[in-house]
Amino acid sequence: MSSADIEIKKLKKVYYKDKMEIPVLAGLDLSISAGEFVALMGPSGSGKSTLLHLIGGLDTATAGSVRVGESLLETMSEAQLTSWRSRHVGFIFQMYHLVPVLTAAQNVELPLLLFKMKSSERKERVKTALTIVGLGDRMDHRPNQLSGGQEQRVAIARAIVTDPDVILADEPTGDLDAKTSEEILNLLNLLNEEFGKTILMVTHDPKAAAHAKKTVHLEKGQLEREEFSNRQPMAAAR
Amino acid sequence: MNLRLVYLHRNLTRNVRRSLLTCAAVGLPIMIYVLSMSVVHGVDKFLDNSAKQLRIVVTQKTSIVNPLPEGHRKKIEALDESKQRLTSVCGVQWIGGQRENDPTPLSVMAADADSFVSTMPEYELTQDEIDAWQKDRQAIIIGSGPAGQLGWKIGDRVSIVPTLPPYRAMEFHVISTAPKAPDNQSIFFRKDYLNEELKKDGFPEGQVSFFFVKCATKKDLDEFREKIDAAFAGSLDETRSLDEKTFMNEFIAQQFDLPKNLAILSGLTVFVAIMAAMNTMSMNFRDRIAEMATLKSLGFSGGFAFSLIQTESLLLCSLGGLVGAIVPFVVFTYTPARDFQVPLIQTLVVEWVTCMKALGIAVFIGLVAGVWPSWMAMRMHVVRALRNLE
Repeated sequence: MSSADIEIKKLKKVYYKDKMEIPVLAGLDLSISAGEFVALMGPSGSGKSTLLHLIGGLDTATAGSVRVGESLLETMSEAQLTSWRSRHVGFIFQMYHLVPVLTAAQNVELPLLLFKMKSSERKERVKTALTIVGLGDRMDHRPNQLSGGQEQRVAIARAIVTDPDVILADEPTGDLDAKTSEEILNLLNLLNEEFGKTILMVTHDPKAAAHAKKTVHLEKGQLEREEFSNRQPMAAAR
Repeated sequence: MNLRLVYLHRNLTRNVRRSLLTCAAVGLPIMIYVLSMSVVHGVDKFLDNSAKQLRIVVTQKTSIVNPLPEGHRKKIEALDESKQRLTSVCGVQWIGGQRENDPTPLSVMAADADSFVSTMPEYELTQDEIDAWQKDRQAIIIGSGPAGQLGWKIGDRVSIVPTLPPYRAMEFHVISTAPKAPDNQSIFFRKDYLNEELKKDGFPEGQVSFFFVKCATKKDLDEFREKIDAAFAGSLDETRSLDEKTFMNEFIAQQFDLPKNLAILSGLTVFVAIMAAMNTMSMNFRDRIAEMATLKSLGFSGGFAFSLIQTESLLLCSLGGLVGAIVPFVVFTYTPARDFQVPLIQTLVVEWVTCMKALGIAVFIGLVAGVWPSWMAMRMHVVRALRNLE
C-alpha cells in the first residue's frame, strides 16, 4: 500500500481558444496530506477538473509547481509523465470509460500490462482488486452486461490494481442514482481508510463531498475556502 | 491468451460488418490485381515463346495493312540458298472472318502449305495431321480457343465467311485443333486454296500480309533481319523486318495495349482500396477517441496507441488481401475454371509469385491506410479528447 502527499504552489493554467486567452487557474496554492480524502467543489469553470488533470500529469501547467510525493511534475517530459502516471496515479472518470470489448477482469488487467509481471501475478491482482470492489463474481462480464454502478466499480478496480499513490476521481457519481452513488462513495471511503489511499474527488454534489475528510472550494481558479468534515470513519460507524 | 492479442482480436471483431466490408474493399482490388497480372504474365509468356521461335516477321514497310507480293518469298529464300541459316519461309495472308449468322470475330489466316509445318513447329502437329494438311486443299487448323468455343473438332466440315476478299463462305475440313500451340486463337488454312477462290471471283491473288522467316540461330535472326530489308530497299514493296516478339508486342499495343491498360486498372483499384481502408481506420479511430484517451491516462504511450491502430489496419488489409490472392489462385488452379481461356493466352495461370506480390501490396495498403489515424491516436491530447473537443 502506498500513498503520497500533494503540494501545489502558484499554479496557473491558461487555455487558448481562437487566439483568445482563457485563464482557468490563477496562482493556486494547495496542500494535501498523504492519506487524505479531499473533495474539490466549485462552480463550472472554476478549474476543478483542470486541477485534477494537472495533478494527474494529463496536462501541463502554464506556471507554478505540482509535487506529488517525491515527483515534481513540471520537470518531467511527456514520456516521463506517461510512465509516472502508470505507477503513481489511478483515474476514475464520470463515464467509466471501460473498454467495451473486454471483460471486467481484462479491463482491470490493462494497466498491469505496463508492468513486468508474471501472468499469474497479474491475474491474482485483478482478482483481488475486483473482490475489493465487490465484483469478484462478475469477472467475465463485459461492460454492457453490467449496471452503471458495477461499471464504475470495475473502473475503480482498474484504478487501484496498480496500487497507485493517488486516486483522482472526476465526478465519479455524476452519472449514477443516489443509492448507487452512496455505494461508490462508501467504496472510496474504504480505499481511503482501509488502504490509506490519497483521494482527490471532483464533485458538484454536497452529499458526495460530505464523504471526504476535507472539501476544497475553488472560485475563478483560486482557493476560496477549505472545510473539514466531522464525518466518522466507516470502521467507527460500523 | 495474451491480453494484447485478445484486445487486438476484439477490436477486429468489434464491428464485424465494417471489418468484413473493409476486407472486401481490399480483397476485391487485390483479386483484380492478381487476375490482371496473370493476364499480363500470360502475354509475356506468349511473347517469350514468340522470341524462342527465332522467327523474323516481314511486313510492308509503310503499314501491315498493305500487302506484299508472294514473289518476295523466293527473294528472301535466295538470301541463304543453303537453307542452313534461313531454314524456311512462310507467306501468310490475314483475311479475318466469322461463321455465317454469327458475329464472333475469328482470326483466320492463309499460309503457304509447303512451309507452314516447318516454320511453325510449336504447333506440334501429329504425322496424321501433317499428312492431312498436305493432301487436303481445304484443310484447316483451328486454334483450341475457337475450337472449344464453337464446338469444332477434327473431321468437321466448317464454313467461314472472310472479312476480306472473297467475302463469301468458304468450306473447310478441320484437320487439327492444335492443342499444344501457344497461340490458341489463330486459324490457319492453305494459301493455294485462297488463291483459287480469289481467282474464281476475280480478286487479285498472290499477295501476303507478312512472311514468317524461320532462322537457325539468334545471330542469323539479327543478321538476316537487316539483309531482308536491304534486299528490298528502293523497290516498290519495301519491307520492315522485326523479330517476332517485337512484332507481336507492337501488334498487341496497336490493338488494345492490354498489359498497359491492366496495369493502370490495377493501380487504380489499389488506390481505391487505400482510400476505403483509410476511411474505415479513421472511423475506427473516431469511434474510440475516449477509449484511446483512457488508455493514455492509464499510462499507455502514444506509441502504443499508434501501434494498436496500425496493427489493426495491417491485419484487416492483410486478411482481405490474403482472401483476394488465394481465391483466384485456388479457382484457376484446382477447379474447372483453370480451362478459362483468354485471347493470346491458352489458359489463365495464376502463379503463386503473383499472389505473394499481391499480399505484399495488401500489407502496403494496410500500412498506408493506418498511418494517418495511427498518427492522430499517437498525438491525441488526453484532456481535449476526454472533453470531446477533438
